Amino acid sequence: MLQINNLHATVGEKPILKGLTLSLGAGEIHAIMGPNGAGKSTLGYVLSGRPGYEVTEGSVTFNGQDLLALEPHERAAAGLFLGFQYPVEIPGVSNVQFLREALNAQRKHREEAPLSGAEFLKVAREQAGALGMDMDMLKRPVNVGFSGGEKKRNEMVQMGIIDPALAILDETDSGLDIDALRIVGDGINRIMRRPDKAVLLITHYQRLLDYVKPDFVHVLDGGRITRTGGAELALELERDGYKELAA
Amino acid sequence: MTDEIEVKDKAAWDAAEKVADYEHGWSSDIETDFAPKGLTEDTVRFISAKKNEPEWMLDWRLKAFRHWLTMETPDWAKLNIPPIDYQDAYYYAEPKAKPKLGSLDEVDPEILRIYEKLGIPIAEQEVLAGVEGARKVAVDAVFDSVSVATTFRAELERAGVIFRSISEAIKEYPDLVRKWLGKIVPMHDNYFATLNCAVFSDGTFVYIPEGVRCPMELSTYFRINAENTGQFERTLIVADKGSYVSYLEGCTAPMRDENQLHAAVVELVALDDAEIKYSTVQNWYPGDAEGKGGIYNFVTKRALCQGRNSKVSWTQVETGSAVTWKYPSCVLNGENSVGEFYSVAVTNNYQQADTGTKMIHNGKGSRSTIVSKGISAGHSNNTYRGLVRVAPNAEGVRNFTQCDSLLLGSLSGAHTVPYIEVRNPSAQIEHEATTSKISDDQMFYAMQRGLNAEEAVALIVNGFAKEVLQQLPMEFAVEAQKLLGISLEGSVG
Amino acid sequence: MNPSAPTRRDEAWRYSDIAAVEAAWPLPAAEAIVVPAGGNFERTIVQDSGTIHQLDIAIGKGAAAAIHVLNIGGDYGRVELNVTLHEKSDFKLGVVQIGGNTQTLEIVTTVTHAQPKARSSQIVRSILAGKATGTYLGKVAVARDAQLTDSVQSVKAMLLDRSATANAKPELEIYADDVKCAHGCAIGELDPMGLFYLQARGIAPADAKKLMLQAFVAGVFEGAADEEMLTVAALKKLVDLV
Repeated sequence: MLQINNLHATVGEKPILKGLTLSLGAGEIHAIMGPNGAGKSTLGYVLSGRPGYEVTEGSVTFNGQDLLALEPHERAAAGLFLGFQYPVEIPGVSNVQFLREALNAQRKHREEAPLSGAEFLKVAREQAGALGMDMDMLKRPVNVGFSGGEKKRNEMVQMGIIDPALAILDETDSGLDIDALRIVGDGINRIMRRPDKAVLLITHYQRLLDYVKPDFVHVLDGGRITRTGGAELALELERDGYKELAA
Repeated sequence: MTDEIEVKDKAAWDAAEKVADYEHGWSSDIETDFAPKGLTEDTVRFISAKKNEPEWMLDWRLKAFRHWLTMETPDWAKLNIPPIDYQDAYYYAEPKAKPKLGSLDEVDPEILRIYEKLGIPIAEQEVLAGVEGARKVAVDAVFDSVSVATTFRAELERAGVIFRSISEAIKEYPDLVRKWLGKIVPMHDNYFATLNCAVFSDGTFVYIPEGVRCPMELSTYFRINAENTGQFERTLIVADKGSYVSYLEGCTAPMRDENQLHAAVVELVALDDAEIKYSTVQNWYPGDAEGKGGIYNFVTKRALCQGRNSKVSWTQVETGSAVTWKYPSCVLNGENSVGEFYSVAVTNNYQQADTGTKMIHNGKGSRSTIVSKGISAGHSNNTYRGLVRVAPNAEGVRNFTQCDSLLLGSLSGAHTVPYIEVRNPSAQIEHEATTSKISDDQMFYAMQRGLNAEEAVALIVNGFAKEVLQQLPMEFAVEAQKLLGISLEGSVG
Repeated sequence: MNPSAPTRRDEAWRYSDIAAVEAAWPLPAAEAIVVPAGGNFERTIVQDSGTIHQLDIAIGKGAAAAIHVLNIGGDYGRVELNVTLHEKSDFKLGVVQIGGNTQTLEIVTTVTHAQPKARSSQIVRSILAGKATGTYLGKVAVARDAQLTDSVQSVKAMLLDRSATANAKPELEIYADDVKCAHGCAIGELDPMGLFYLQARGIAPADAKKLMLQAFVAGVFEGAADEEMLTVAALKKLVDLV
């Protein structure tokens, strides 16, 4: 589904990714782990096209398409979803308005009919309910006044409504207490664990992986994948730390 | 003439004894040499001759004077000032028994006594009285129109720092002075700055060479002692690449029934990576409780942040003067240069203050912070006036401005006049202002814990001004805190 | 009675398009509005043809006035309000200015709290593109006796192009000590991270921009009798601009 080949990227002229190669197949869940500053968040931003994150070398194809040639919103319409580590507050724009515009923009791009207000609200209510989020919160401005945990849960509600083919989840587990972690983990499994979908979990700790079992675990260090293994690699990292591994 | 002055001084002494509110209100018996009263080209020539100035300096002064004659007094400030008779003042007063500069032993002991009384370490002592852990402070003492002493010169010279009275610097370092004098505040800048160019009598010059961190605090203490005398000092500080200096300025004057004029110009230049921290505690005589007398304080202070990453920080505590007209500003030309303005202005009785800053952002990534705390009591008026301007090519500029006013009693006025002009979309400019009074609950709480009303007000006002006071060097912070309390005495019923 | 046209030295015209002002000079007398004690007044001003509106409004004891302004049209458009509040009266002002090309748009207010316990609220949102200039000169004056005044000025401007200019002068003149007067002013551009967030969810750049600008002016016309008309007109101008 996603082929990343020898990816080099810079942020403000500073090289961060230095030849990253990775391949995700449909139906797979991959976890990327690594120390702070390894380039984990950069990978998520580069794949979703954040301005200022420049690809200097390499290629990325997504379902046969050249991902890097697309604008951020075209990547979203193509089925790529980035769960933000720090979801952005947008005062004045309600969640409902935001998501409906977003969903219908994507559907239009895919030449699908837009959802009516009632149809949309039905989907939104289902997804919010499944993640234990109040409908009132959906009417509030996007992420404004939300706690850290609520913001992350809101990201999952959005993922449920948008129903992407590929989700890149950047530290979705940070800032969550143990109950919220389980709710979010269940949400990822319910929405994304399907034969036609894939997930790239970017995480610092292995605790989310107790709930969302990865098929592959990769270690990202110094801008490249330095090691790949199964779920057991995460436990090894948790036990020995990144330093040990590097040594 | 001397007899007449002594008689006047006697009268001032008597007046001073009657009103003890103003701590520095005593004048002292110093024999003084005056220029003839009034202001003509001859006055300008007299001052220049007294200073043995080179020809270029006299020409510069005369040019300024001739232009000044064509100018009008600015009237845009929220100040009510009776017309000033510029002919009814002395423009030059020099203590007789002039000391040989640099030799402290030869300073008139009477002058030393005055500075001692002011609590200023004119001797090369390391510690200010009563302040633990104080650092060395080098002092340039300007008494009426002349600099009477500059301390720690030898130690500063070893570091390459030039710390001189400006009249010495004009003779000893003419190239350095000519390069920058009038370049930050141009000769025609404004009425009072132009007047200063014509008649400035002394002041301080500082040069910090490349890469040098000035080994001690530098300071100038200004004292207007003689009657009917204007003080027109001029300060120029040049911080070369990568240097740092912290400079303190303090001002006092005796109590006089007449208004006295103080029109200073301060110019600062910071080159690449240089930093200047300029702190002022202004405690000129504010006039009596009926609004009689006091200093007219018209000051032009401006800094040029010319170099990359240069930084200038103005901190001022303004408690004195009958009228204050003063806007220490930063022209931020350098990329990523930083300007800061921290101000506490207290007005009581019939004082008027119109003060603030200008932050002119020309450099990319330049940043500025403005924190202004105005406290109005009695019948006074206190205005913050400020400008934040962002030029079209200045990308990524940041400014944050906070203006808070505190009103004590219902007869005073508190005003905020911020101008914001932005021509680049990447700028982030934020301005906030609040107005409040000391609540009855706060007063009751403090008094229930054992403070009297004045102590309670002083405590609360110090809390209100804390953000600014903590910017001051420690020695000054203690003094400034006390000053806030003293300035507000009699403001609570 | 109408002296010569003002110059930029006149505080209230310091950012004006002086040539346009001179062409319009002399101005007709300001429209005088008196809201009687206990009365209720509402007015919508849509400046869409490059004119100068001057209103003097006296709000009587316990009365309320609400003015909504959409300042969008012509090369030079100015709305000037001179408001006097009496005891326990209430004044609400909501302004949206949207300018492009070489437009100069101004809102100039003097709100005088002449008596105690009155409230005033001014919300001004400006969006400026091209070489447009948008200005807010707003003075709140609180008289000596006007205790318990409650006054708010909220001023925000958004610059869409580097050739646009925003000026603001939220001024306070206060002679009473028991008052609550606050003003806030912010000038900047659209939050790039917010724009990216919207795009990452599939919204095209121009639509994302529009959505955020709509949010920026949202609420200004809330409760206005002409809320819908104003909102539609503002949106139309935004669409032209983006």
